Amino acid sequence: MRTLKFMMLGLLLSGFATVYAQDATTGATKIVVSGAGCFGAVYNADEDIKVNFNHYGFSPVFLWKLSDKLFFESEIEIQDGNMELEYGKISYSLNKYMTFGCGRMLSPFGAYGERWEPMFVERFPNSPLRADDEQLPDDTHLAWGAMMGLDVRGGIPLGSAKMNYALFISNGPLLYKDENGRPTGLIQYENLLDENNTNKELGGRIGILPFSNSSLEIGFSGKHGIAGSASDSIMNLTDSSYSNYAKIGATATAVDFNYVKSIPELSSVITVRGQYTSLTVDKADYYLNDSTNYSFDNSQQNYFAQFSIRPAMVKSKLFKNLEFLVRYGSLTAPKDAAWGAKDLNGAGGAVTRLDLGLCYWFSWRSGLRVAYEMTSRPDGTKTNELLAKFVTGF
Amino acid sequence: MKKILTIIAITCITIKGMLLINGCAATSEIQAKSGAQLWGENCLRCHNAPSPADYSDAQWATIGNHMKVRASLTSDEITKVIEFLQSAN
Repeated sequence: MRTLKFMMLGLLLSGFATVYAQDATTGATKIVVSGAGCFGAVYNADEDIKVNFNHYGFSPVFLWKLSDKLFFESEIEIQDGNMELEYGKISYSLNKYMTFGCGRMLSPFGAYGERWEPMFVERFPNSPLRADDEQLPDDTHLAWGAMMGLDVRGGIPLGSAKMNYALFISNGPLLYKDENGRPTGLIQYENLLDENNTNKELGGRIGILPFSNSSLEIGFSGKHGIAGSASDSIMNLTDSSYSNYAKIGATATAVDFNYVKSIPELSSVITVRGQYTSLTVDKADYYLNDSTNYSFDNSQQNYFAQFSIRPAMVKSKLFKNLEFLVRYGSLTAPKDAAWGAKDLNGAGGAVTRLDLGLCYWFSWRSGLRVAYEMTSRPDGTKTNELLAKFVTGF
Repeated sequence: MKKILTIIAITCITIKGMLLINGCAATSEIQAKSGAQLWGENCLRCHNAPSPADYSDAQWATIGNHMKVRASLTSDEITKVIEFLQSAN
């Protein structure tokens, strides 16, 4: 019944999209409805159910140009039985070099969330290994996600180079709580409405494009916010005293890079991109169990790097639409935390993933993505899956 | 909080320094770039370049606002790209 409800909603939205897309071709209407839809499947030889059609999505994007300076954009994301407003943001152009924005927006922290994650942009059928993956409990949304707040951003020419920037203030992160309502040391980003203190998160990203053809961009991101609140307290089980988490802050940094180059000698276009993300949480005591407190060095790292080559300049229509992909990623949780992937001795370690992929492009925004995903955990267990996803942009 | 204020201060000083050094102006070579060239260079940074025929003039104007915000393009860049797409669709 729920699926039927979403299908009906999808049909209604697609009808709405068609009507407005047609309207926008004439007259003064300045609305565009764009977006993408997808359908995915997975094959795992080790599972009882070896083949599963496990993924669907429909994400219409609504763009309103209200004047030369005022602009509104939003996206509704319907995926696998869930529906939410991915973003809804009002932007006002202050001058040639600065635009002010407010609302629910994609975080500019790192490049992946804003630029490479959209369904029709991501060449793989899956996302890179990331901090809100199944390797950590719950969705932490460190590397990408939405936020509620304000930003200023823009692009600036710098001689033959250029730079771009985005600075933001938003509702801050939260300390993730377990089923008993106790903080664990995990941090939940994508805190949209449930702010627990008046301290807001500050952060931003600066991108440098050193070459005149804009082929290379290197981005530096940082953000800091208080994650705890005075109402979250812990009892010291040795002396029965209480302390709270009011000053527990979370600081994250990221470096991203993107290099796109046409190589006539290979009749191809290559893309190299990646992102490194680090999160450090101020030290605090937590409950290990009902009778023990413990503390740990709360720092985690996450990165991925990928390479793709598309022989876009060959004559063969088949080959010019093929893109060959490889991606490697790693996620390291705090070594001594009670959560996260553990080795056989109980110490935290790195989960790694290698993806070998292929994408066939039917158009600039529609394609079939296939990848063989190999995940290794510190306890020696491995998961190998064949993933397929058909994406159509509109 | 001190840490983030330090980061913001360093960021502002860096931006200001770069602006002072470079005079916030593109070189004549950059200024001479056509909309078609900028369309190829900037769209490909994240996704395949769309065909100009995919959208109408009004739609390209709206999409231009979206991409200016999303990709933090400069005003001159997005103006040229949109003019090219509107002339070639």
